[in-house]
Amino acid sequence: MNLRSCILVSVLLAPLASLLPAAPLAEAYKVDDIAFPAEVAAEVGGIAFDAKGLLYVALRRGDVLTAKPVADPSKYAWRFFATGFDNALGLAVPEPGRIFVAHMPELTEAVDTDGDGIADRYRNKADGWGLSGNYHETIGMSSDGEGGYYIGLGTASHRSPTFVHTRGKYSPVGRRGRNYSAVEYRGWVMHLKADGEIEPFASGFRVTNGLLRDDEGNLWSSDNQGDWKAVTPFYHVEKGNFYGHPSSLVWDPKWPADRDPLAAYRADLDTYNQDRTYAAVEIPHLEMVRSGSEPVQIPRGGEFGPFGGQILLPDASGTRIARIMVEKVDGAYQGAVTLFINGQGLRISNNRLAFAPDGRTLYVGQTSRGWGASKGPNTEGLQRITWRGGVPFTVQQMNITPRGFRLTFTDRVSPGALQATGYAVESMTYQSKWIYGGEPLDVRTETVAAVTLIDDRTVEIAIDGFRPQRVYHLRLDGTVKSASGESAELPDFYYTANRLPAVR
Amino acid sequence: MSHRLLYAALLLAVAKSVYAATPAMLTYDTRPHGTVEVPLILRTYLPDPGLDDTVMVHHGRGEKTSEYSPEKGEDIPGEVVPLKGVPAAIAVNHGPELSYVFDTTEGRLLYAWQGGFLDMFPYWGEKDMGTRLYDYVPRLVGILFYQAAGRHPLEIDGRSVSEAGAPRFLGYDLVGNQPTFIVRYGRHTVRTRVRPLPGQQRALRIEFSVEPAARLSFRTENTSFALKKEDGVMGTLALTLAGPSLGSYEGYSRKVTITEASVAAGEQFARNYACAVCHSTDGSMGHGPTWAGLFGRERVLADGTKTIADDAYILEAIKNPDARIVQGFAPSFMPPYSQLGELEYESLLLYIKSLRAGQ
Repeated sequence: MNLRSCILVSVLLAPLASLLPAAPLAEAYKVDDIAFPAEVAAEVGGIAFDAKGLLYVALRRGDVLTAKPVADPSKYAWRFFATGFDNALGLAVPEPGRIFVAHMPELTEAVDTDGDGIADRYRNKADGWGLSGNYHETIGMSSDGEGGYYIGLGTASHRSPTFVHTRGKYSPVGRRGRNYSAVEYRGWVMHLKADGEIEPFASGFRVTNGLLRDDEGNLWSSDNQGDWKAVTPFYHVEKGNFYGHPSSLVWDPKWPADRDPLAAYRADLDTYNQDRTYAAVEIPHLEMVRSGSEPVQIPRGGEFGPFGGQILLPDASGTRIARIMVEKVDGAYQGAVTLFINGQGLRISNNRLAFAPDGRTLYVGQTSRGWGASKGPNTEGLQRITWRGGVPFTVQQMNITPRGFRLTFTDRVSPGALQATGYAVESMTYQSKWIYGGEPLDVRTETVAAVTLIDDRTVEIAIDGFRPQRVYHLRLDGTVKSASGESAELPDFYYTANRLPAVR
Repeated sequence: MSHRLLYAALLLAVAKSVYAATPAMLTYDTRPHGTVEVPLILRTYLPDPGLDDTVMVHHGRGEKTSEYSPEKGEDIPGEVVPLKGVPAAIAVNHGPELSYVFDTTEGRLLYAWQGGFLDMFPYWGEKDMGTRLYDYVPRLVGILFYQAAGRHPLEIDGRSVSEAGAPRFLGYDLVGNQPTFIVRYGRHTVRTRVRPLPGQQRALRIEFSVEPAARLSFRTENTSFALKKEDGVMGTLALTLAGPSLGSYEGYSRKVTITEASVAAGEQFARNYACAVCHSTDGSMGHGPTWAGLFGRERVLADGTKTIADDAYILEAIKNPDARIVQGFAPSFMPPYSQLGELEYESLLLYIKSLRAGQ
């Protein structure tokens, strides 16, 4: 999008936004707890809706339940639909009464053939990957938009061994390391095509606990901060790329069979950095999202407020959901992350997101059993976040410019928003390596040289010595206000500037 | 929720699963179970009671590996040894009558047991605990009576299906809630159904059918069990397998944190071990005798002799249930709980003694 069309869109949106009343976050977005039958273990691994609006929820012990959403969150009438899934972590409902479930050993189709509301035909649609017996070998799934699915295969954890008998070939080299790939395609995203053929698609993942194909056909994956992941990365996944966790390379036919990828890259981080594809957005794990799980795209029609087309990413180890804004710069995606919601009654182990068909309600599924440190009775279950029509004051869209950033706010800004002192910027880099996580490196305090008003909702900030291959942390202080006096409740933004746009 | 309420909820769940034709939802109960009418199908990592490489031919072989230092990024002294377990199989429970494991990788029945199902505690943990123990493999509960050995026993036109290469698991159908597993071996598709034989000890019925139609036969070097073939039409085969006790399993042994025995602790242990699956506390009929009013009552044993249900009798019935079977009840259904701590036995005893008739 060029500058002119940016301005045009902003001008068109401005009257629309001004119709919506300003509201604090807690009034704009309401969080409700949805009750399950007493004693049902509400460990939510998948959420999906059928074309009639029936809600399907996969629970990790094996059941898939259904309920018709009703106004009172304590009155959902849950019914049994199917069972027999080992850690169901992906769910799709191509038509009422027919589901696809990604669980550890398989992608299974379960169908209610006699219309009694209970699945009676279970078919193995894909199992072309290994299972070592390690608890950490989770799975993520997304439609490919063409009748097939992308499947993300988590690596194993060094805290537990494999079984004596593994499903699939065992690799002693792949077994090495903190998180490891002892059996086939651990750490890969697979593509199951509509015709049933399955192919390894991209490698180098640690935990692909959540995949998203957006409405433009792009595939996105979250991952978790850990070994070979300095922070929580958010990847634009393209065929054939290596995303940085070396163990998976033992299953790449192009990787030399006698070479240990872990040892090779440990000894040569320069080559490692040349060989890997960087995250489109680096997400600091303490400040934003610690364990990225299932991303979802916000409906574009304004049903959920002003952030249509952007991506929400829940934290499986935090009471928060991040909002991600991506753009294509010099041919590659990159962008910014901020918190969309933090607290407000949201539980701590947010694992799955799905929008109801009306687009106005976001369902959030939580589970922590066996994964998180969080304990206690109220860390798991199902919640819904409903947009009530108000718009919190914040940066609606953050874009990069050759000299800094363009910030489009959700409302008209006050004159105070033109003061450079309202914008605190620092920048840093990260280096993924064998240790768990990574500290920010080469942290610099940046100088905001100028703030320019573009229109009544948009400013551009220019940064002295602006350079690529850094993550920029922007913090709005309380002087950046809307015309009606609100300041941003969640004021932190991190932009991953892999590339700078060319000066036009 | 108090223990009593939890207990009532558990009993209700049990009653529901016994009498309702639809499957019950899985709960925080770490000893889930099905019934003959509505078997429970559970996919999870499963215990390996001692399957050898001649059975697990289509599996990979996990190896010992060096300890690894995540800080150094290097191997350090020490070894990590692989665990026993079955990665991608399906466990089915028909209540106390029958449990079995059908493996999707080997395309065959791996083992079968009676008198219980799985203790999921090592993987599911307790409701308020939410944690995972080291090995996350459930433990068997009951008496193992069949375990696969050697090549696949099914033959098509006289050739073992093992000769057809790796089997391809296609899925399963539920007909009247009963699963039929579908596996392709070479050009043949075989449907396998395993059923309990109510009233028979340590036995099951297994039925095969094949497409395209071919002659099916069953041949095994495994002599530990008795085999009874039934006449069937071309392309089908049905057999009864009856075996000896190959081992008795009590589930996961949990640490006891109480310092003195009590009725409340006994109630908790009864819940932990899912005793109510078979023993009612309100006098109603179950797979085992009711506990209501049990203490002090005269018992008529299978051989016609009589005894009084005193402390020694109840403790013996827990530790070695087959020693004295009450008339009207089957032997070998209840696994012996011989590994509990003294405080657990005393608490269970206090709890059972507290349950009066008609309560």
